[in-house]
Amino acid sequence: MASVSIRNVRKSYGTVEIIKGVSIDIQDGEFVILVGPSGCGKSTLLRMIAGLEEISGGTVAIDDRVVNDVPPKDRDIAMVFQNYALYPHMTIADNMSFALRLKNTAKSEITAKVERAAGILGLGPLLGRFPRQLSGGQRQRVAMGRAIVRDPKVFLFDEPLSNLDAKLRVQMRTEIKEMHQRLKTTTVYVTHDQIEAMTMADKIVVMHDGIIEQIGAPLDLYDNPANMFVAGFIGSPAMNFIPGSIGGDGFTTEGGDRLPLGGRVPAASDGRPAVYGVRPEHFRLADDGMAAEVVVVEPTGSETQMVLRPLGAKAGREDRKRELTWVLRERTGAKPGEVVRIAPDPALAHLFNPDTGLRL
Amino acid sequence: MSRPLRKLLDKAGMAVCVLLLVSPALLFFIWMLSLSLKFEIDNGAYPPILIPDRFAWKNYTTIFEGNSFLLYFWNSLIVTGAATLFALVVGVPAGYGIARMKAHKSAVVIMIARMTPGLSFLIPLFLLFQWLGLLGTLWPQIIIHLVVTVPIVIWIMIGYFETTPMELEEAAMVDGATRWQIFAKVALPIAKPGIVVAFILSVIFSWNNFVFGIVLASRETRTLPVAVYNMLSFEQVSWGPLAAAALVVTLPVLILTVAAQRQIVAGLTAGAVKGG
Amino acid sequence: MSILTSSDRVVGAASVGRTKRLRPSYWPFVVPALIVVIGVIVFPWVFTLWMSAMEWRIGEEQRFVGLQNYARLFTDVRFLEAMLHTLVYTALSVLAPLVLGTAAALAFNTKLPARGLLRGIFVMPMMATPVAIALVWTMMFHPQLGVLNYLLSLVGIGPLQWVYHPSTVILSLVLVETWQWTPLVMLIVLGGLAALPTEPYESAQIDGATAWQRFRYLTLPMIKPFLMVAVIIRSIDALKSFDILYTITQGGPGTASETINLYLYSVAFTYYDIGYGSAIAVVFFVLIIMLSLILLYLRQRSAWNTGDGQ
Ligand SMILES: Nc1ncnc2c1ncn2[C@@H]1O[C@H](COP(=O)(O)OP(=O)(O)O)[C@@H](O)[C@H]1O
Ligand SMILES: [Mg+2]
Repeated sequence: MASVSIRNVRKSYGTVEIIKGVSIDIQDGEFVILVGPSGCGKSTLLRMIAGLEEISGGTVAIDDRVVNDVPPKDRDIAMVFQNYALYPHMTIADNMSFALRLKNTAKSEITAKVERAAGILGLGPLLGRFPRQLSGGQRQRVAMGRAIVRDPKVFLFDEPLSNLDAKLRVQMRTEIKEMHQRLKTTTVYVTHDQIEAMTMADKIVVMHDGIIEQIGAPLDLYDNPANMFVAGFIGSPAMNFIPGSIGGDGFTTEGGDRLPLGGRVPAASDGRPAVYGVRPEHFRLADDGMAAEVVVVEPTGSETQMVLRPLGAKAGREDRKRELTWVLRERTGAKPGEVVRIAPDPALAHLFNPDTGLRL
Repeated sequence: MSRPLRKLLDKAGMAVCVLLLVSPALLFFIWMLSLSLKFEIDNGAYPPILIPDRFAWKNYTTIFEGNSFLLYFWNSLIVTGAATLFALVVGVPAGYGIARMKAHKSAVVIMIARMTPGLSFLIPLFLLFQWLGLLGTLWPQIIIHLVVTVPIVIWIMIGYFETTPMELEEAAMVDGATRWQIFAKVALPIAKPGIVVAFILSVIFSWNNFVFGIVLASRETRTLPVAVYNMLSFEQVSWGPLAAAALVVTLPVLILTVAAQRQIVAGLTAGAVKGG
Repeated sequence: MSILTSSDRVVGAASVGRTKRLRPSYWPFVVPALIVVIGVIVFPWVFTLWMSAMEWRIGEEQRFVGLQNYARLFTDVRFLEAMLHTLVYTALSVLAPLVLGTAAALAFNTKLPARGLLRGIFVMPMMATPVAIALVWTMMFHPQLGVLNYLLSLVGIGPLQWVYHPSTVILSLVLVETWQWTPLVMLIVLGGLAALPTEPYESAQIDGATAWQRFRYLTLPMIKPFLMVAVIIRSIDALKSFDILYTITQGGPGTASETINLYLYSVAFTYYDIGYGSAIAVVFFVLIIMLSLILLYLRQRSAWNTGDGQ
């Protein structure tokens, strides 16, 4: 059990800066997920916490002890790797007990700990087998078991589910979450999958190009994204961004449609260009809404997803690229080619500065 | 052409192909065996006889009687065994270190060593051994065989350790292993097949080596290849015992080749190494 | 090699360089081997270079003579002839195994029955003890009693003098070298063939290419890097060839098959002219390195042409 404090951490390879000053505070027992697109530096940051990568600047502290120069084996952490990194020449039991054996732990204690972890993960019958005799999901569990047995201060996960098929991934997501609720070990978890982040995290850290875009609870990020990157990254299907400008008490799209702002007009912003952000599920049918042609209808059963092309009040200003996504709970008889009129819910919409991407 | 006929022809073509491929090797070794089992009369017969009426088993017994052959066999075992063992002891960790440090440039030394003719190592080392007073013992040969065995082992092990995933060692690092523990308990067990390959090739090329022995060996310290060569040049033996001796010398290697051909092929195509 | 693994390597490469404090140092693993390599490999190189500048005969006083030994090489007819023999021997000993080995590789690349065993037998010549097989070859070459002349007589040729006549000795030795080392070329080329993609062949078949055309325009260009590797290795080994030559002819008859390596042996260990021998060793060494570099350069180019870094 421990807190982790990352202060202004930097990492460069040669002259290329990969992590550009990152600070995160992780409380004791918290489940923190680093999420962001591939190559944004998540793994690098995690590996710096683990001690597998030298820290170029700033400090990493575990339980208030700066560990920059502490080798991995003395940090009291456990890590689950993307490809599991199971020792192929050891049985499952030996894989799980390797760290304990290195520390010359008593035999009886090792057996007890391995059995406990195997019990938690349902690995009991597999203990005598070798990794190559296990399925992907079982290997994944062994990798976790190896971490649990250590009873470390911090768990580190690097995209542990990305090698599993979709169904297994959902199942393992639940298992990891349950495991955390049971053990309450501080966890740092890396993924590029925002759904994984949303469903599992206590706290999400959204990274992009080596910086932190926003830190917050899952729903907080969903409801109050700090900028267009987070707004677009969190949520699926992604938020619609409609460029235009603020005018009067509303918003005028480039196509000339008027969108409501619900009285939340930022001060002194008349005529100012902005981006109107609205999630796909926050549109509704409205007689006075913007007219849009239905392009594609994709029913999934529980909901219907539609791609719409705004027709635009000003003729000739229609723009193919400005297609909108609309998700509605109800079933609909709408067919491609039909025209619908829709309006966003102004209370749930956001305005962004088109230059900085920040929310207004 | 009808289908069955076509198939038959294909099969026949294949059989001819196979025969053509292996006949040079096969016929040679069969002839070698034939020579070694014939009496002098049969070996001198024209036209040559492949399978004699009487087998000259005594060709094999004679070589073990008069010529200290057992001593030479023992010498070969010691030299090859020691040179291989020592090469594994220093070469396997070195291959590991070089692979992990990504010090590929250092492998150039190994490459050049591989290119250097064995004789050019012999001159300086011969003088050194003379100066050290080691000539007349097996030490000079054991040491100089390292010129062959160490590069083979290092070369093959670099290739092998490069293919073992770093993630495993990082996991061990996080699990609390020191670098020696990582090497001994994770890297080494995984590299076992590579060590087997290195061992086999090192043994074969050391066993076969001739040029070092011919300069460094005295009467008591000859290895088998040198001993066999000396049978040819100094003692007027007949073909039968000579062929028998040649077969005895190379038989261990041939057995190893057929038994471990998979490893040998893997090692040779990976490193394309050869000693001496 | 996929893009993925090669970039992984880059990633690892930099991380090892930068994490000196956290990561263990790997030097201790290398040090013992380094000592051995310096002792038995680097020291002989340096010492040879030094000796080559000396007048040095066993049992006599040594004296520094500078480049005199090297100058002597240019007027040494026996050395120049040895050089010529070496080049002829090497050229033929590269070419013949290359052609035969490639053909054998093509055969082995098909679905042969008992392929493993056949391959095992096929590689036996190169693994067998050279002295042992050289002895048998000597018997087979025998003009009166040898089986080779008998076989030739069956098809109405011969009898030949084989290694017992200056005009045929080198060719005969090349025959042995070819017999011995064709398997290595086969293995290298077979490795290349195994890595070939199948789609181009299927599409060529649809386009109606004959077997020869497929070989000429698809296989050959694609395995060129492997052929170059085979040429490099074969060249080095043929240049250094010793056991077979020494056992069968010792450079004879006369000096008709004396290569640089054999001459070097005579100078150093028959005449004990260590200084001069060292000079020959140095020149020989430079020759091998130069040839290797040229071939490596050519391989680099051929690798560029085929667009992979093999
Ligand atoms: N050793 C290295 N040398 C150079 N660049 C590296 C190295 N390791 C990672 N990078 C670069 O750092 C960036 C972040 O990598 P990584 O942390 O693995 O991203 P993520 O895990 O978020 O996908 C990538 O652009 C990658 O190319
Ligand atoms: Mg990553």
